[in-house]
Amino acid sequence: MALSRRAPVGLVLSSAWLGICLISAIFGDFFPIPEWNAYDYENVGVPLFSPGHLLGTDFDGTDILAGIVHGARTSLGIAVTAVVVGSLIGGALGVVAAYRRGWVDSVITMYFNVALSIPTLVLTLVMVAIFSSPNLDDPSAGMPRELVIVISLTLVIIPILGRIARSSALTWTGRDFVLVAESIGMTRRSILWTHIVPNVLPSMMSVGFLAAGVVIVVEGGLAILGAGTDPGASWGSMLAKNRQDLSILPSTTIIPVIAIALTVMALNYFGDYVRLRIDDRESRI
Amino acid sequence: MRLRVALKILARFATVLVIVTFAITVLVRLLPGDPISILFPFATEEDRIRYRGELGLNDNLVIYYLNWLGSFITGDFGSYYSSTGDGSGVPVSDMLGVALPRTMLLMGYVIVTSLVFAIPLGLYLAYRAETRVDRWISNALFALASLPNFAVGLGLAFLLGVQLNWLPVLGYVPIADGLGEHIKSMTMPTLSLSLGLIATFSRLLRVDTIATLKEDFVTMASSKGLSNAWILWRHVFRPSSSTVMTSAALNMAALIGGAVIIESVFALNGFGMLLTVSIATRQYLAIQSLIALVAIAYMVFNLIVDLLYAVVDPRVASHRGT
Repeated sequence: MALSRRAPVGLVLSSAWLGICLISAIFGDFFPIPEWNAYDYENVGVPLFSPGHLLGTDFDGTDILAGIVHGARTSLGIAVTAVVVGSLIGGALGVVAAYRRGWVDSVITMYFNVALSIPTLVLTLVMVAIFSSPNLDDPSAGMPRELVIVISLTLVIIPILGRIARSSALTWTGRDFVLVAESIGMTRRSILWTHIVPNVLPSMMSVGFLAAGVVIVVEGGLAILGAGTDPGASWGSMLAKNRQDLSILPSTTIIPVIAIALTVMALNYFGDYVRLRIDDRESRI
Repeated sequence: MRLRVALKILARFATVLVIVTFAITVLVRLLPGDPISILFPFATEEDRIRYRGELGLNDNLVIYYLNWLGSFITGDFGSYYSSTGDGSGVPVSDMLGVALPRTMLLMGYVIVTSLVFAIPLGLYLAYRAETRVDRWISNALFALASLPNFAVGLGLAFLLGVQLNWLPVLGYVPIADGLGEHIKSMTMPTLSLSLGLIATFSRLLRVDTIATLKEDFVTMASSKGLSNAWILWRHVFRPSSSTVMTSAALNMAALIGGAVIIESVFALNGFGMLLTVSIATRQYLAIQSLIALVAIAYMVFNLIVDLLYAVVDPRVASHRGT
C-alpha cells in the first residue's frame, strides 16, 4: 500500500532526472553548447540566463551548463564503474563466504571488517594521495587521477556490497529449496548459480543504487579536499573550483551542488523503491 | 564466561587494528620516489642520510612497522616535518592537542543536536503514522537524508552566511574567546552535519516506534488511562530506541569522514584538516598515526553499539542469544 502510493511521483521524477543525466553523459558531445573546458574571455563570470550561456559562466569563462553536461559523464561514469566492478567482486566474495563457510568465510569476513573500519573518505584520500602524481618534482608521473579515484572507490564498494551479498546469501542457503536441491544431488556449484545468486542479486541491486550515491558524494568530497578529478571535469571538481566565488557568483557553486544533490536523491529513491519491491516479493514467497 | 567474551572482543580489536595499520604502512612505503626529497627538498646529503635513519626508512617493512607500533602504543605519534624548519619536526601529539578538541566538540554538538531534534520528531511521526502530516514530513526527511553534507554546508554558507549575513562563513572561535562567538562559528558546521542525521534518526525511530505501538503493553498502558505523551516517553521510547542508538554510534564514526569535508568547507582546522594536510604533504608517521586513531575510534564506537544493544533493550540480548 505504501508502495503504490509512493511509487508514481517520486519514481517518475527520479527516472526523469537520471534519464536526463544519462542522455547528457552519452550524447553530451552533440548538444549545441560550448566545450566544457573552453574559455570564453568575452563572457567571464556572467550570471544565469545570459545570451549564449544559459547557466552563466564562471570566472574562467567556462560555460556552467557545458560543465554540468560533461560532469554528468565523469561523475556517473566513475559511479557506475566503481559500483559495477565493486559489486561483481564484492558479490562473488560475499556469496562464496556464505556458501563455503569455514576458514574461507572467516578470512573474507575479516577483510570486510578491516576495510569497513576505515572511513570511506579517509581511505580514498590516502589512495589518491599515494597513487596519483606521487612525485612533486614530476606531477605527470603516477596513474591518471580518474583511474585512481575509480580504483579506490571500487575498493570502498567491495566490502559494502560484499557484506550485503554475504548476509543475503546466508538467509537463502538456509531455505528449504536449497536443502531439497542438495538432497536430490545437485552440485554445490549449480545450486549456487541457480538458487543462491538469482536471489541475492535483487538486494545487491537495491544497495547498488545507494552505493552509487555514496560514490558521487565521496567524489565530491575528494574534490573539495583537492584530491578530485581535473578542475571542472566532474560536478565535484566544478564546485570545488568555484567554491571561493560563492559570495560573488553563487550560481557557479550552487548549480553543481544541486546536480549532485538531485542525483544522489534520485539514486537513493531508486534503492529504496527496489528494496520495498523485494520486501514485497519476499513476503509473498 | 564474561572474561572470555571480553578477551575475544579484545583479540578481534587488536587483530583488526594490526591489519589496518600494517596495510597503511605498506601503502605509505609503496610511495614511489624518495620521501626525503619531498619532506626536505633542500636538505644536504648528510642531512638526508640522517633523516633516513630518523624516519626508519633504512629498515625493512616489518621492523619499520614494529618500531612505529611500539611508539604509537606508548603515545608517541611521530613528528610532523616542515620543509622550511630545521628539520626537527613538531610532535603530532602537540598538533592533535589543538585539532582534536575542535573536532570532538563539533561531533558532540552534532550528535546532541541531531538526537534532540530527531527523537521528538520520530515519536511524533510514529504517533501520527500514515496521516497527511506524517506523509509530507517523511518524504521531506527522505530527501534531506540523501543530501550530501557538503551540499547542505555550501547551501547554508550561501543562505545564512552570504545572503543574510547572519553567521561567519570561515574560521573557528574557541570558547575562551567568547561563548557567543564560539556558538556562531560552530552553528553552520554543526547544522551541515546534523540535518542529514536528524532525518536518518527520526526515520529509523519512526519505523521502530510504529512497531512498538502495536505491542500489548502499550494497549495496556493506554487502557489504564495514561496520557499519550507519557506512554510515548516512558513506555514506547526505550524499547524503540535500539536502532537509533546503533545508528547514532555508527554515525559518530562516519562523522569523522564528514567532519573532514565540513572542516575544510568552513576552515575549522580540526582533526580532519590535520589529516588532509598531512596527506597532502606526505607526513608518513603522522598519516599512519592519524589513520590508526580513526580506525580505533571507529572500532570503539562499534563496540559501544554492541554494548548499547544489551543495555537499552534487555530483550534484544536474550533474542540474539548473546
